Amino acid sequence: MPLIKIIPLQFPAVEELEKMLSIISNRFKMETSLSTRPFDMNPYFNPVRSQYNANEIIQKLVTSAAENNKIVGITELDLFIPVLRYIFGQAYLGGSAALVSGHRLHNSRYGLAEDPNLYFNRLLKCLIHELGHAFGLKHCLKLGCVMVSTTYVEEMDQKSDLFCHSCQAELTELTQ
Amino acid sequence: MDNNLSILVVDDELSVRDSLSNWFIEDGYTVDTAEDAKVALKKIEAYHFHIILIDIKLPGMDGLELNRRIKTINEDTIVIIMTAFASVDSAVQALKDGAYDYVCKPFDPDAVTHIIRNASKSIQLSQENLSLQDRIKSLVNVEDIIGESEGILNVLEQVRVVAETDSTVIINGDSGTGKELIAKAIHMNSSRRFFPMVTVHCGAIAENLMESELFGHERGAFTGAQYARKGKFEMADGATLFLDEISTISMKMQIEILRVLETKKFARVGGNREFSSDFRVICATNRDLATMVKNGEFRDDLYYRLNVFSIDIPPLRERVEDIKLLSEHFVKLYADQMNKGTRHIGKRATKALQNYAFPGNVRELENLIERAIVIGSGDTVQLKDLPFQDNIEKPSWESIQDMEHHHIEDILKKYDWNISQAAKALGVDRVTLYSKIKKYKINKGS
Repeated sequence: MPLIKIIPLQFPAVEELEKMLSIISNRFKMETSLSTRPFDMNPYFNPVRSQYNANEIIQKLVTSAAENNKIVGITELDLFIPVLRYIFGQAYLGGSAALVSGHRLHNSRYGLAEDPNLYFNRLLKCLIHELGHAFGLKHCLKLGCVMVSTTYVEEMDQKSDLFCHSCQAELTELTQ
Repeated sequence: MDNNLSILVVDDELSVRDSLSNWFIEDGYTVDTAEDAKVALKKIEAYHFHIILIDIKLPGMDGLELNRRIKTINEDTIVIIMTAFASVDSAVQALKDGAYDYVCKPFDPDAVTHIIRNASKSIQLSQENLSLQDRIKSLVNVEDIIGESEGILNVLEQVRVVAETDSTVIINGDSGTGKELIAKAIHMNSSRRFFPMVTVHCGAIAENLMESELFGHERGAFTGAQYARKGKFEMADGATLFLDEISTISMKMQIEILRVLETKKFARVGGNREFSSDFRVICATNRDLATMVKNGEFRDDLYYRLNVFSIDIPPLRERVEDIKLLSEHFVKLYADQMNKGTRHIGKRATKALQNYAFPGNVRELENLIERAIVIGSGDTVQLKDLPFQDNIEKPSWESIQDMEHHHIEDILKKYDWNISQAAKALGVDRVTLYSKIKKYKINKGS
């Protein structure tokens, strides 16, 4: 039975992830599970950039994904890929693994009062977006669709956590 | 989001190539990578990339030199220089050499997204510009089609009637009669005129390439299909699809085309995705499709699907009265193109052209006039400028009497009306010559 497995990678608020399981399951019409196995992030730390290398983490996650399963790592640490200063998340199109960071999704990072609900929504959108890529969906231009490409939290707040009709139809085709 | 644009990432670091190609693939671009300038140039020569991102520091040839080489291959290619060092000098040099922009690594996700989106817009604008220029060049109004013969006026009336509809049209006519011009006239007077007319020269495409040409193909559909490509059906969405020389397509392709014409849906070769396209079909043939159907060379179901409205273009020999108008039109056209002062066509030249059968129709007439403008001088095309005056300037007289009349006239002119010498040359006596002059009413000034 295909499964979406969420792995906390030094992510302290595990109860947040438990709340997400049913939403993710509903969106992708697949079973979900939360891993409790510890994952050492130290090998992926880049001291020059004080960030963690997303490409290398994803490659590690891919090796632990069973056939037909998708595996999503969630971390509070700051991620990068070599050419970009930072990323919110990363996934290979049609690949078996995705990665999401909540590091830059906190309001407090931008000098505003922390808003746990807003943070949760942003993290959920990020997770669904990267999982969408892992299932083979490309970026979408339809306003509000979760597959719209976003590089700032302000942009992320403007989209919903739902797929537009055409992305939903494509996802249904891809997951069948 | 599906883009038709292709990007090449040139960087010696595998992690950079992987990261960027993954980033662009998510945006729907077709992406390829190269680890150095040598590999990049090989790929650029084999395939046209719209945008090329180049790391300034490459092993062997550096990014600046690669940028210069790319500009000699295709100056329209958009080159974006990536540099790990904020070297203003090298960035300025790259821009002077024609690079579109530069970014310092590592860059904000927002920066690269914006540069690529701006570059995409710039490419789309220049493509639109070229397409508009082409369309302006090929604008055809019914009024612009030359001719006043009954045959051509009938054709133009049919064009006016059918252009406003969305019906399929078959244009019949010999080679060189202007079938494509009539197709353009229908398209340009239809509601689809703001989209291009997509032409398929069926006779010029090899049988094994026809399927990919019409339906397009997905990446990896066959050996050599490195990239996905749109077919003519897809390109003609909202527009007119002109299938020239439809009679040359194979029976297998006829079945495929019939299916698409009926459903307006198709899949690319090697793909499962179904595409829809809203196009109007105009086809042309120089063979009689009805006879081909009788002989089993053309599918009857496709013929009936295509033969909604039929236009027959008469050959030039059946509309001799148009030859003068067409000749004058081509004289002005080519004289302007070649910056020559020729403006007219002489009477004898016109008569010679009107006496010729023109197996190659209007195309042959156009070529004759073009040649005449090249070799001729002065403001008028003369008979001597035409390549076949010996063959086509045939006397209009047919009877022996006519022949005798003109021969006597020529001999009299030759001997400057010296009757004795002329009679001697003709082998008759002077009295006989006088009686012939009287009989044929030949005057000294005639």
